[in-house]
Amino acid sequence: MTDEYKVLDGLYYTKEHEWAKKLGGGLVAVGIDDYAQGQLHEIVYVELPSMDAEVTQGGAIGAVESVKAVSDMYSPVGGKVVEVNEALLDSPEKINEDPYGEGWIAKIEASSLDADLKKLMDAKAYREFLKSL
Amino acid sequence: MELKKTHIYRYHADHGNMVDFGGYAMPVWYEGIQAEHKAVRDACGIFDTSHMGRTWAEGPDTEKFLNYLITNDVDKLEPYGGLYSVMCKPTGGIVDDLILYKFTPERYLVVYNAGNRDKDFKWMKKNSKDFKVKLTDVSDKVAMIAVQGPKAVETLQKITKEDVSKIGRFNIGEITVSGVKCLAARTGYTGEDGFEVFVLDSPLEKPDKALKVWEDLVGAGAVPCGLGARDSLRLEAGLWLYGNDIDESINPLEAGLRWTVKFKKAGYFIGQKALQKIRDEGVKKTLVGIMLEERGIPRHSYEVLNAEEKEIGVVTSGGMSPTLNVGIALAYLPLEYAELGTPVLVRIRKNLVKGKVVKHRPFYDETQYGWKRDKK
Repeated sequence: MTDEYKVLDGLYYTKEHEWAKKLGGGLVAVGIDDYAQGQLHEIVYVELPSMDAEVTQGGAIGAVESVKAVSDMYSPVGGKVVEVNEALLDSPEKINEDPYGEGWIAKIEASSLDADLKKLMDAKAYREFLKSL
Repeated sequence: MELKKTHIYRYHADHGNMVDFGGYAMPVWYEGIQAEHKAVRDACGIFDTSHMGRTWAEGPDTEKFLNYLITNDVDKLEPYGGLYSVMCKPTGGIVDDLILYKFTPERYLVVYNAGNRDKDFKWMKKNSKDFKVKLTDVSDKVAMIAVQGPKAVETLQKITKEDVSKIGRFNIGEITVSGVKCLAARTGYTGEDGFEVFVLDSPLEKPDKALKVWEDLVGAGAVPCGLGARDSLRLEAGLWLYGNDIDESINPLEAGLRWTVKFKKAGYFIGQKALQKIRDEGVKKTLVGIMLEERGIPRHSYEVLNAEEKEIGVVTSGGMSPTLNVGIALAYLPLEYAELGTPVLVRIRKNLVKGKVVKHRPFYDETQYGWKRDKK
């Protein structure tokens, strides 16, 4: 069942189905993954984190809502929010269409990137994790 | 516990995304809630509503019994007429909302909510003791399919012998669909024109007739719709959902159902004394519609606050309106906030989102959507 979901190599994943992508210079893009968007189906609203907000790894940074359900989003890394994807306010369906691309949610200036990434799963581990669900 | 299945289960399992809805295996959506919602507002969608309760009330005291049981008045009903009502506890709390259809003074069909099937039947049975009336639960023998939308007449007509447009709003008629004997009521739970079709003699164990009607409706162009669209459509129409907007702690006077309570009808009805007292003393809260003016989706149990940020109520039903593309909600508020245009706030997680009290039955513009819309 879980084979149908796309897991990109090179990204880091949480058990709550968020992803993190290293952009260089301590900057990390975050979003929700293909599995999460597939489970939610039809996303109609995204609550973005506030600019400049200080977030901790695993701390709530927003929410993604489908017609029927609300899913809280937790930050895969700790740091400061330096950019949010405002295009999602008008087109939240981009998360369904392209969860790892145009559906990115925020960019975070990570405060202790290496330590945080060690606590996340790489693509291989995450694929195994999805199979266990 | 194994989930109960409806007559149309085989189709749902093949095509739908299934959930446990009050113990029934039901589809939430087939292709997507928004597309199904739009199909009903623009054309025609069908819903399996076979999980609902259906009971025949028959015998010389049928009308006397029903007038004792429900708050509305069956006396003015003509044969093949339908009537929406609630039935109440002696406290005035709502046991359920339901629709009655009259065939003769001694034969009525009672249709009620899926989640209340056992409770309602027991309640009717218990209160029928002093009347010569026989109650027969046929929920598992008769399937029920709602055909809804501005093209419902046209769609159902393609597979029906009789002229279905002759069945008036809230009336019921005997028709033959796909060669199968059915009853069709011009009612629904979407705000749109349409029918609730009862497929007779289609037992759960052998649901071929119900499946045939369903498949033929799909063949005639109807879009299969799940519970997701059913809920978003009824919310836009401002229709009550039992368990959310009404229950035994709520009376019909505060729920906006005063029009279903006929204090002057012949004979006593259950809850009459309590409801008269509530009427005389005045209700303290009332069901209102709220439309958000900022982004956000209000949902069941979210707090509603006044402009001074004091909590004044909670959302009983809420969601994103696919038609209006804004968050809408139903909530019980103290009377002083019921006036249209009153500013309110809804607490959505950590944010207070601005909204105002609006006309909610329905939320949408009736000249554009719903069964009263301007015909082109």
